[in-house]
Amino acid sequence: MQFVFKTFGRGAHPPASKITAELPLVVMDAPERLSVPLSQHIGAPAVPVVQQGDEVRVGTLIADAAGFVSARVHSPVSGRVAGIVKRRTPSGGTSLHIEIDNDFNYTEDLLPPLSDPSPEEIRERVRECGIVGMGGAGFPTHVKLAPKGKTDLFLLNGAECEPYITCDCRLMTERAGEVVRGAELLAKAVGAEKAVIGVESNKREAFDALTRACADSSAAVEAVMLRTKYPQGAEKQLVFALTGRRVPPGALPADVGCVVDNVHTAYAVARAVDKGEPLFERALTVSGGETGEKGNFFVRIGTPFDYIREKTRGERSDDDLVKVISGGPMMGVAQADLTPCVAKTTSSLLFFGEKEAAEEPTQCINCGRCIRQCPMKLAPRDIERAVLAKDFARTEELYVSSCMECGVCSYVCPAKRPLVQAIRLAKKSLKEGRR
Amino acid sequence: MKNLRVSSSPHLTSPANTQRIMLDVLIALSPAVIAMVLLYGFYPLFLTVLSVATAVFCEWVFNVITKRTQSVRDLSAVVTGVILALNLPPVVPFYVPIVGAAFAIIIVKMLFGGIGRNFANPAITARIFLMLAWTGVMTKFVLPVDLSDGANLFVYFKQGVEINLPDAITTATPLQTVKEAISSGGNPAEGLNALDMFLGRIGGSAGEVSTLAVLIGGIYLAVRRVIDVKIPVLYIGSTALFTAIFFADSGYVGEYVWTYLLGGGLMFGAFFMATDYATSPKTPVAVVIYGLGLGFLTVIIRKFGTMNEGVSFAILLMNIVTPLLEKIRRKPFGTPRKSVKDITDAVKAKFPRKHVAAEEGGESVGR
Repeated sequence: MQFVFKTFGRGAHPPASKITAELPLVVMDAPERLSVPLSQHIGAPAVPVVQQGDEVRVGTLIADAAGFVSARVHSPVSGRVAGIVKRRTPSGGTSLHIEIDNDFNYTEDLLPPLSDPSPEEIRERVRECGIVGMGGAGFPTHVKLAPKGKTDLFLLNGAECEPYITCDCRLMTERAGEVVRGAELLAKAVGAEKAVIGVESNKREAFDALTRACADSSAAVEAVMLRTKYPQGAEKQLVFALTGRRVPPGALPADVGCVVDNVHTAYAVARAVDKGEPLFERALTVSGGETGEKGNFFVRIGTPFDYIREKTRGERSDDDLVKVISGGPMMGVAQADLTPCVAKTTSSLLFFGEKEAAEEPTQCINCGRCIRQCPMKLAPRDIERAVLAKDFARTEELYVSSCMECGVCSYVCPAKRPLVQAIRLAKKSLKEGRR
Repeated sequence: MKNLRVSSSPHLTSPANTQRIMLDVLIALSPAVIAMVLLYGFYPLFLTVLSVATAVFCEWVFNVITKRTQSVRDLSAVVTGVILALNLPPVVPFYVPIVGAAFAIIIVKMLFGGIGRNFANPAITARIFLMLAWTGVMTKFVLPVDLSDGANLFVYFKQGVEINLPDAITTATPLQTVKEAISSGGNPAEGLNALDMFLGRIGGSAGEVSTLAVLIGGIYLAVRRVIDVKIPVLYIGSTALFTAIFFADSGYVGEYVWTYLLGGGLMFGAFFMATDYATSPKTPVAVVIYGLGLGFLTVIIRKFGTMNEGVSFAILLMNIVTPLLEKIRRKPFGTPRKSVKDITDAVKAKFPRKHVAAEEGGESVGR
């Protein structure tokens, strides 16, 4: 038994609120019409390859990648393309969506499974199946796997440090074998000797399941327990906790010989290689005080949020609903309405009432918590002051670009200052050339 | 469906707020207040009430006149009032805490922008102001009430309004005893008892005398993570270190160290005043310099100064240095650390050795 868990410096301890941690993953029925977003990854939006009226089956390619940093999109159901329309995405922007009418037959159109694939075959399969980083960033995985320099370690992010979200926890517990298999395939694809899965100490069951699966597997995969602390799952913090390597500002983990991917991504890779299944569904947590039937669900990409709300509403009325968040409460995006649809990066949907909404800011008392607890060693207090003075050049001197917007500063602030919000404004202003 | 609230993440905030932090400080001050009443009776408690009432009233009036958002509910004025009262001698005329609290709140705190913006600790600045304005009153200390003598806890109310206390009830503070030893070269601990100093059965400022009570409060603040515990630890540690260095040839190093640690307001200053949010640095390097500077100045002033105001002046001076210390920027996480060779290379590039430059110049001319 391990008593001192690996971790990073500083950070915070928001209440975990993992209400749904014990609830098994349930398949949620697909609605009659799904809208699959074409921009659910970092990079160029995918280009539709189907037209209104086309027949599609589960796994049929419906939009192709527009360039190297882009990802394919596949049909989540069988049926007919109803149209291509512009809709809001969970991240707040708009994008073209392919609307598909479900025929509820679920006839499949999958790729042939690969047995004993080479690294090139794995990378090609990942690209074909449209797999992107499913932790939230949505970076196309085949780009990460493209070799540049020597990679000796493959790290899997199973920290799931955001409060409320439990979909990765359930996936690791129930599908440990496939997660470990995915880790093995990913490590092979980048030529790493070893894969390490980092799991926070509050997911004991998931850790035990992974440890058993690692013992069953012949590959060099290991599960490591991490301290429960936010943001344990941030890329640079995870690399430091697991390997002691420091990723310099502006650099990627690849620069220190590591590649990091989410456990759900690994699961998708295992499915893609062993079953030939493109990425068209994902695990999703529905939680928060205003959810009647909380739980972890397998949902098909393109399922509208209002459909999920109806399925999980229980006895709750929409009148008490104050905030809806796609993603975790620390870094997720508040939704203006329930029209967006589940994307490959949507890990949770939280329905909050009045009690869970934030307070009004008061004057900074200079307590220094934001500075002492910033995982990136920045000075949010000084950056906010510079932003209020519209001195954006000064924010650059304060290394504002190193901020990963984890939200620890705003969380710990006793005066409830909008610190990370000010940092976002500074970054945006600098990008637009304002000084 | 009605409108949903949209805001930028994070959507959670910690339960900590300004009022709760100030309440924690008040809880941490309560052992010192209790010790004060047990030692000197109810008169200093009466002064504390006056001080707190004045502080809150001044902040309220200031906010009303200047049309600022009312801030008395955050309890920070109450904290300033209590800390100021605990810094005064147990028996002073009633108007002393009133003037002091008004000075602390209006001049040091509110005129500079209120909570979090003051340039120095309001209580310590007010104490120094009172010390300069009413030196006679502020340097007369009484003995703790001796209940076995038939006296009661209300005994000092009689002397309260007098400016000149009768000599019969005044006493020297341990630091005054030590000061005499510095000039005479004798044993500084002569006539002092470490246990009495630890419990507070000595003459001194009302709330500072009991090291035990102050430590209980200080540990509470550290456990609740209200203060950065590095500051008091460094301050107390560096005071011990510099005392040992400055009195190395006195022959009484051990005696000087323990009298300096237990005497005066060192413990109180280290836990409750040096850690003031607005006037203490936040980054580790700056905190180390701040803590060492506090200890160094305290010992210098106590050894060479005419007034025994080491802690007050050390904190005031380091408060003023804090904005400079804050200019030490921390590099973001992951910035490659400089090796010794990098640093020496940088120094060499900045200061080229003259004869090397001359040689190179000579060569180029030669060719």
